[in-house]
Amino acid sequence: MPIEVTMPKLSPTMETGVIAQWLVKVGDKIKEGDVLADIETDKATMQMKSYDDGTIVHIDHGAGDEVALGQRVMVLAKKNEDPKKVAADLGLGGEAKAAPKAAAQRAEASAPVAAAAASGVASTGGLVADRAGGNGNGNGHPSSDNGQQAAAVPSHGGRVKASPLARKLAASAQVELAGIQGSGPNGRVVRRDVEAYIQAGPSKAATPQAAPTTAAAPIAAQRIPHSRMRKTIAQRMVQAKQTAPEIHLTVDIRVDRLVAAREELNKRLAREGVKLSLGDFVTKAVAMSLRAHPGVNASYEPDAIVRHGEVNIGIAVALPEGLIVPVLHRADTLGLREIRKRSEALAAAARSNNLSGEQLTGSTFTISNLGMFGIRQFDAILNMPEVGILAVGTADKRPVVEGDRLVVGTVMTVTLTADHRAVDGAMAAEFLQTLRGLLEEPTSMLL
Amino acid sequence: MPVLTFREALNQAMTEEMERDDRVFLMGEEVAQYDGAYKVSQGMLKKFGPSRIIDTPISEGGFAGIGIGAAMVGLRPIVEFMTFSFSLVAIDQIVNNAANMRYMSGGQFAVPIVFRGSSGMAGCLAATHSHRLEAWYAQIPGLTVVLPGTPADAKGLLKSAIRSDDPVVFIEHEVLYHEKGEVPEGEHVVPIGKADIKREGSDVTLITYSRSLKATLAAAEKLAEEGIDAEVVDIRTIRPLDLDTLLTSIGKTHRGVIVEEDWPYCGLGAGIADRITQAAFDELDAPIRRVAAKDAPIPYNRTLEASMLPSVDRVVAAVKDVMYV
Repeated sequence: MPIEVTMPKLSPTMETGVIAQWLVKVGDKIKEGDVLADIETDKATMQMKSYDDGTIVHIDHGAGDEVALGQRVMVLAKKNEDPKKVAADLGLGGEAKAAPKAAAQRAEASAPVAAAAASGVASTGGLVADRAGGNGNGNGHPSSDNGQQAAAVPSHGGRVKASPLARKLAASAQVELAGIQGSGPNGRVVRRDVEAYIQAGPSKAATPQAAPTTAAAPIAAQRIPHSRMRKTIAQRMVQAKQTAPEIHLTVDIRVDRLVAAREELNKRLAREGVKLSLGDFVTKAVAMSLRAHPGVNASYEPDAIVRHGEVNIGIAVALPEGLIVPVLHRADTLGLREIRKRSEALAAAARSNNLSGEQLTGSTFTISNLGMFGIRQFDAILNMPEVGILAVGTADKRPVVEGDRLVVGTVMTVTLTADHRAVDGAMAAEFLQTLRGLLEEPTSMLL
Repeated sequence: MPVLTFREALNQAMTEEMERDDRVFLMGEEVAQYDGAYKVSQGMLKKFGPSRIIDTPISEGGFAGIGIGAAMVGLRPIVEFMTFSFSLVAIDQIVNNAANMRYMSGGQFAVPIVFRGSSGMAGCLAATHSHRLEAWYAQIPGLTVVLPGTPADAKGLLKSAIRSDDPVVFIEHEVLYHEKGEVPEGEHVVPIGKADIKREGSDVTLITYSRSLKATLAAAEKLAEEGIDAEVVDIRTIRPLDLDTLLTSIGKTHRGVIVEEDWPYCGLGAGIADRITQAAFDELDAPIRRVAAKDAPIPYNRTLEASMLPSVDRVVAAVKDVMYV
């Protein structure tokens, strides 16, 4: 029996996946563990790997298609099966072209070069490499011209090809390259295309602008279709605001000692190339406070409150296209050094789109830190089904009343958002009290 | 302004510098009795005598080393290689001693020497006598590498080279020796490290040097007939490279084509293209193209040899490529 490969569950909350690009094509022999495609889930773009060995005889969906969980995406012939026969049995004929379904025809276009073909350019199998010179050993093979030979380089998904200058011009005029028809080789967008587009722009839009004194370059409105990530953010933020009756509790934390302790530790850690941030101390203190106040390390379910056994801290990471919350598992058991290293690794993986499913799941509480932007205080929205999220502001020097004196102290303001269905005001306040104690007396974290 | 041949301009530069500074002398194969294999030193033996115009045996490694030693103790030698193809047997002296002496001695010794001579594909010289070694020498920190393309630049740059306190590899092109051009009289000194815009234009920057300048200027004229306005930059000094002039030009035209007689792989144009791309990536509307010698040994056969060279047609085709026309 041939193997039917279906859309896998690559994120705990996904219901469908969009095929960002196929990395294999019909006829390829694949082995267990080979990456078949990049799949956009509701969280991130993940790799879809094969669990089987075999030869691809059919691909059901092209790049850009949204496929429900469990729905078939491809058919593999096993080692002892004749791929042609399998294809014939599927009703595809030997060439896999005779399929009556439109989907089967799209399968033809589902190789990685599909994007180039789709943009109206004769596909040559990808970009033509910069002909920067033949590099044979030169013995007896003068190349056709210039001593420079063209080589094929595989193209990447739906990337817009544009010259650097065209990119710069488009960015400064705030127009999207994707909407511009390229006239260069393989559809490359070049300067003249951007200039023509900008020139044509205002007449198309026909929007009378309030004429300023100087003639500014026309700035077209941009329409950015929702990415999967944007849809997920929108849906989850609305869900939190509609479902959870939130309370917000704010506390100022004096961090002079913490700043000193950080400096001291960083001197010791300099040799290892590790540099602790104040955020790492907050992560550690939050994890310890959650251990002490399990009611905040919880989820609200219709018939019960679930107090989690593990303390897993989600750390919100801003990305150009949105926001993602990788998870620092069992953060209460980690030392500061380990917290720094793992946080760094998570942030790097998030930015390069390399988070594993495990790194994206299981958080029991979330920290959102905007201190690096100089934000003093803000309220975060719950990351459901968690019942608490901590918004961390900047640590800066402020006037502090000490006894009857006014002194300069370094102060950080944090705000806890809690779901009042599970966390009452006093419980939230106690949690913050513990947190404040740990951060104001960092040595107490050793106890 | 007097019109001189390239070889006369070089002769004038050496003669004037030897009259100005008695530490300067010329040494090489057949530079004295025979008046120079390419007649560059014509009349100089008669004028300066055998102690300053010195014939050597066929021993490039030996006389290059003698020159370096003389430079270290205060003289200012000009060492002529009959062709730079023969400098390959002296390359240890040039690279290890001349280029590195100042550095290795902690500044105790300078090596004010000029290595000069002909080079290039000059017609039926075949594979071993047609080398273009500018990229080899230009890679070495410690060397200055100069390749003039006109008689005026030849004179002015050779005078600067002789006055330099550090070793200069001064590479002439054999087919240029009979080229004529106006040369300013007297104290005409062209600074090292300064490119020259030989033709102004706005659509594309053609970067070239030495003998390829001629084909490049001809290509620019042909392109002008088709409405393409090419700027031609003669870099003249290969190391140090005048990147400022190149970037200003690229900033104006947004396109570059490098024309060189060097081989393509790891050739001089590769290094220049890299520097431009690092500094001006966002200014480029097309990849920088190179028109170089073809990637093969240089044939003896005249027709085959001609097919190896950067030709007007190849330059025009490369320009159209970067212009997307």
